Amino acid sequence: MRKVLAVFLLGIMGFYLFSSFSEIPFGENRATVGDYYLENTVLQTGSVNTITSIVVSYRGFDTLGEVTVLFLASTGLAAILFDNKGRKRRRQHASLIVRVGAHLIYPLIILLGAYVFIHGHLTPGGGFQGGAIIATGVLLMFMSYRSFEVSHKWLTYLESFAGISFVTIGLSGLIWGESFLQNILPLGVPNELFSAGVIPIIYIAVGIKVGAELTGLLDNLLKTIK
Amino acid sequence: MIFYISGILLILIGMYAVLTKKNIIKIIIGLSIVDSGINLLLIAIGYVNDGTAPIFSNETLKAVDMVDPVPQALVLTAIVIGLGVTAVALALVIRLYDHHKTLNINKIRKLKW
Amino acid sequence: MNISPVHFIAVPLLAAFLIPIIGRFSKEFVKVIPGIVLLYLSYVAISLFPVALKTPIVEVLAGWKPPFGISLVYGPLAAYLTALITLMGFVIWVYSYKFIIREPIEKYYMLFMLLITGSTGIILTGDIFNMFVFLEITAIAAYSLTAFLRDKDGAEAAFKYLLIGSFASSFFLLAVMLLYASTGTLNLAEITSKIDSVAMSTRILILILFLVGLGIEAELFPLNGWAPDAYSQAPSPIGAIFGGIVVKAAIYALMRLVFLLFNFSEVFHFLLIMGIITMIVAEMSAMKQQQIKRMLAFSSIGQMGLVIIAFSVGTSDSVQAALFQMFNHAVIKALLFFAAGYLVFHSGSKKISALDGLGRDKPLTSFFFALGALAIIGLPPFAGFWSKLYILISVADAGLITAVVLVLIASVIEAVYYLRVVSRLYFNKESAQETEVRRTPLTGLLAMGVLALVIIVVGIYPDYIWNLLKPAAEELVNKAEYIRIALLK
Repeated sequence: MRKVLAVFLLGIMGFYLFSSFSEIPFGENRATVGDYYLENTVLQTGSVNTITSIVVSYRGFDTLGEVTVLFLASTGLAAILFDNKGRKRRRQHASLIVRVGAHLIYPLIILLGAYVFIHGHLTPGGGFQGGAIIATGVLLMFMSYRSFEVSHKWLTYLESFAGISFVTIGLSGLIWGESFLQNILPLGVPNELFSAGVIPIIYIAVGIKVGAELTGLLDNLLKTIK
Repeated sequence: MIFYISGILLILIGMYAVLTKKNIIKIIIGLSIVDSGINLLLIAIGYVNDGTAPIFSNETLKAVDMVDPVPQALVLTAIVIGLGVTAVALALVIRLYDHHKTLNINKIRKLKW
Repeated sequence: MNISPVHFIAVPLLAAFLIPIIGRFSKEFVKVIPGIVLLYLSYVAISLFPVALKTPIVEVLAGWKPPFGISLVYGPLAAYLTALITLMGFVIWVYSYKFIIREPIEKYYMLFMLLITGSTGIILTGDIFNMFVFLEITAIAAYSLTAFLRDKDGAEAAFKYLLIGSFASSFFLLAVMLLYASTGTLNLAEITSKIDSVAMSTRILILILFLVGLGIEAELFPLNGWAPDAYSQAPSPIGAIFGGIVVKAAIYALMRLVFLLFNFSEVFHFLLIMGIITMIVAEMSAMKQQQIKRMLAFSSIGQMGLVIIAFSVGTSDSVQAALFQMFNHAVIKALLFFAAGYLVFHSGSKKISALDGLGRDKPLTSFFFALGALAIIGLPPFAGFWSKLYILISVADAGLITAVVLVLIASVIEAVYYLRVVSRLYFNKESAQETEVRRTPLTGLLAMGVLALVIIVVGIYPDYIWNLLKPAAEELVNKAEYIRIALLK
């Protein structure tokens, strides 16, 4: 009965969604604000990756909110699981191959993550992607080593420090420029590492923050055994 | 067009899972599927036929040949938000499991709708 | 650095990021920080208020002019709501200071700060996707705070809230997506100026998606199933936050979008009917409740129904009355939740029947509860009377006599269940068991006292607040003016 009702409701919803979407032509070039960004990104922000310039500069406020959401999730998770402090991870034996392999790959994954967020304004990638890559490296170590622990104290410091630097960069735009999050550094030559003003700095802060937060999240979620 | 259809289908499948499944973990998986469907739709909206990634890594690339970058930027935000919600949901599941020793929603739901 | 509206978002965010570091050194100082922040924000709100009344401020972010960047629109309406939120936030902090004694206190204040950030963000932003981000910030903070006590029911209530909330956010995002696909922009003012070229069927779908998405947070019937559980399982100050801050932000978002994008009389009729159903159903349910906080939650939903009725009449006067009612509801419901928090704490039970005779044991707390109850019913010397009166006048002016009658009936129901509790407090014999005497802390009494004072003062001089709301109401009704301001033309 419940299933029939669900199918019925979703059928109606799907029909209307589909009929609305069929009015939006697929694959056609529509006039959107995106055109403006594509034309002006290199000149105005110095970042060759348009998505990065939108995420960090044009719509930088969204990213601040996004960072806040992650921070909020890790805070909320820690609050909900507060008395799990004494708990441990379920420890499985990992085979020798896995352990040696993990140990070899782990620094490389961290390096790749750092590369991805440092080059966010030049290549596909950025703070979130880089941070997520770093967290997968830590996850690999959690899975393969019994004794691998991360220091929550340092995670908290990293997290807060990166968050504070993001907001401070924003506020410094308000002090030395005209508006919050405004670029206050020279733009440099496009396609070089030191270019695009504050964008790489913000993305590095985001990368560190996301890496630390996702690591903390994983650690909290894995510790389920009393 | 197939991208719109598959995106909408994913949303519907996810919602179906949320509405009918009894296991909390499956419900959360359903929520994630809805998120993925929406993200896919959003990307599909920004697609331009034969467009490339909007990155000016060399001079030969022209703005006209590129896909709309805005939906991609929005998807980045939407993914992170979905992740945050999923993480909090999983924490709540751990809490619920501690209290009830079950993941079946029929045995848990004491509060009336 | 000049004072600017962006401080409403940046400063609490900075505080939330700082708290974990400071918490390593001093646990006591962590409890003070939110107070300092909220005091500062209240100062900002009050000092910017006259400025916004004269000329609305449009704060351009990252130096990109709208519609290409995100901008904050700080007109009279936003000024009024942010002032309400920050001042209420400060009072709630005062109350929380001694009420929240359960660890992790640090996390509580971080979540509290982020909730304030999220809800001011919803009100200030002039960008639809940014609004989605702030809605999610508010929602995730609210889920976590609902489960803050980590008990059985709290986790269930939070999970239910999360489930419904995720549906809401999916719908909202779908609507944003459709808007972007059909207008090519995300700036609210720009969308408004282009919305007429969108096909009607798409527009209706967008409206439905928004109604579902925001109706859940705004406690519209039948999407408000989460509210009673969340209100009653969360710690009492959180109940006050939900009723005083979160719902206000959601209603603002809903009404802003309806007035800008879907300005048809059919939509207003639909909302009117939904508002009436919400109100009647909620008041009837409140009658049946055995737990005091659940009763307050249902009453809160009923009040929101009343606000929506007033909004959906759609004239400048009725919007003004709705805004006044929002103010009164925030203050009075917070007072009721505060008082109920300590009454529950003293009696050791959430049940209404456990409150017998507490009026003699806890004279002050009970007095505040009674005062709040009388005010929310709408008895003459208190603030609640005036807003209800104005709503009734404006609804009657629009010729909706049935609505007037239904509002009056709902008020009678409301009076019955509130007076039932009050009479239990004062006139019932004390139940036999002697609980140990616990005093209500000074901060709790202070917070309640301030709110009670506001209720009485506003009740005696309603005109002052009423006149302040006039420009805010006109801002909401006047769509062309909003486009002009927000696009910096």
